[in-house]
Amino acid sequence: MKKIIFQFVVLVALFFGLWFALKSINWMSVFKIEKLTDDTEIKIGKTVWDLYKKTEKENKEEKAVIAIDSIVDRICSKNNINRETIKVHIIIKDDINAFAMPGGHLVVYSGLITASDNPDELAGVLAHEISHIELGHVMKKLIKEVGLSVLISMTSGNSGGETIKQVSKILSSSAFDRKLEKEADISAVEYLINANINPEPLAEFLYKLAENKKDETSYESWLSTHPDSKKRAEYILAYSKNKLKNPQPALSDTSWKILKENAAD
Amino acid sequence: MENNFEYQPSDHEAEKASNSYLMSLIALIAGMPLPIINLIASLIFFIGNRKGTYFVRWHCTQALLSQFSLLFINSFGFWWTLSIMFGPETISSKYIAYIITMLIFNISEFIATIYSAIQTRKGIHVKWFFYGNLTNLICKA
Repeated sequence: MKKIIFQFVVLVALFFGLWFALKSINWMSVFKIEKLTDDTEIKIGKTVWDLYKKTEKENKEEKAVIAIDSIVDRICSKNNINRETIKVHIIIKDDINAFAMPGGHLVVYSGLITASDNPDELAGVLAHEISHIELGHVMKKLIKEVGLSVLISMTSGNSGGETIKQVSKILSSSAFDRKLEKEADISAVEYLINANINPEPLAEFLYKLAENKKDETSYESWLSTHPDSKKRAEYILAYSKNKLKNPQPALSDTSWKILKENAAD
Repeated sequence: MENNFEYQPSDHEAEKASNSYLMSLIALIAGMPLPIINLIASLIFFIGNRKGTYFVRWHCTQALLSQFSLLFINSFGFWWTLSIMFGPETISSKYIAYIITMLIFNISEFIATIYSAIQTRKGIHVKWFFYGNLTNLICKA
């Protein structure tokens, strides 16, 4: 019996030993497999954003930008996120939508700001999108939808405007995997708790989306990229229950008023 | 591999024992994409011969047991490949190293199986490292 166990251990050790030894070789470069690096993502982000900003109108009104930046600053600083990597842009559009682009570009529609009942709702959506960026979901989604080779060709400037348009359309109007959405929700709740912002308004916002689904078309944008709103609201509430004793609003009343007034300017 | 058996098997026995390896060899080729096929094929052959003579039963058991470790190794590789193709995983050096290790183990098993099929056909007993001792433990005369 001892001999059998010994021989079994030898076999297992042989297998793992061989695997670990082979692992030390950089097979990716041996087989010349293209690998996605942070640098590639930044380049893709820049290409997509450069084209996107030409087709849309960005709100650069200082009052609005400062207000929204202060929410993002608070979420980032309390969660050890490098603030430099997140670039927030307000786009003047009535649709209720926000989405993340490669390279840390976070696009927020003015329609989302005006439709939010309080700053915590907006902070919730921002935290959710920041989670997608931080968890690397954006590139995962793009690799799945358009393929790695198309993405790599974008960085060398070989792809046409149509491809880039298609990529930005995917980013703004198609959904992430359910698994990735849940991951982003949970991480958003953690971000909000660490920043001492109440996560419940995010759940309320999702309920609102689910209820307004039939009546208002403007709600469809964020809804099309975020299905199962009701279910998500439920687990966000369950996850955030009793975790914060004395949350502080994401923005003061004055700043919130200024942001709402200037969002669509 | 060792070559001692309690008695000299007849030609008929040698043929059957040799077939058990051939069976797992064919299944190994057919089962490459779906590893479970190897095991099922060897299992059917094993059940079919469980009332055979000691020499036949012994080699059927060894052929079956040797499929088990490949089943685990190949299944893991199979699901890893699927998750790269359709899931969130991306190709990495770790994955390629695993696939190469998996191929080396499959090829070794392939060669050992061919060798065993030839030797047992001649009536020569072949006892594999680890699997032979395990078979001795399970398969009684």
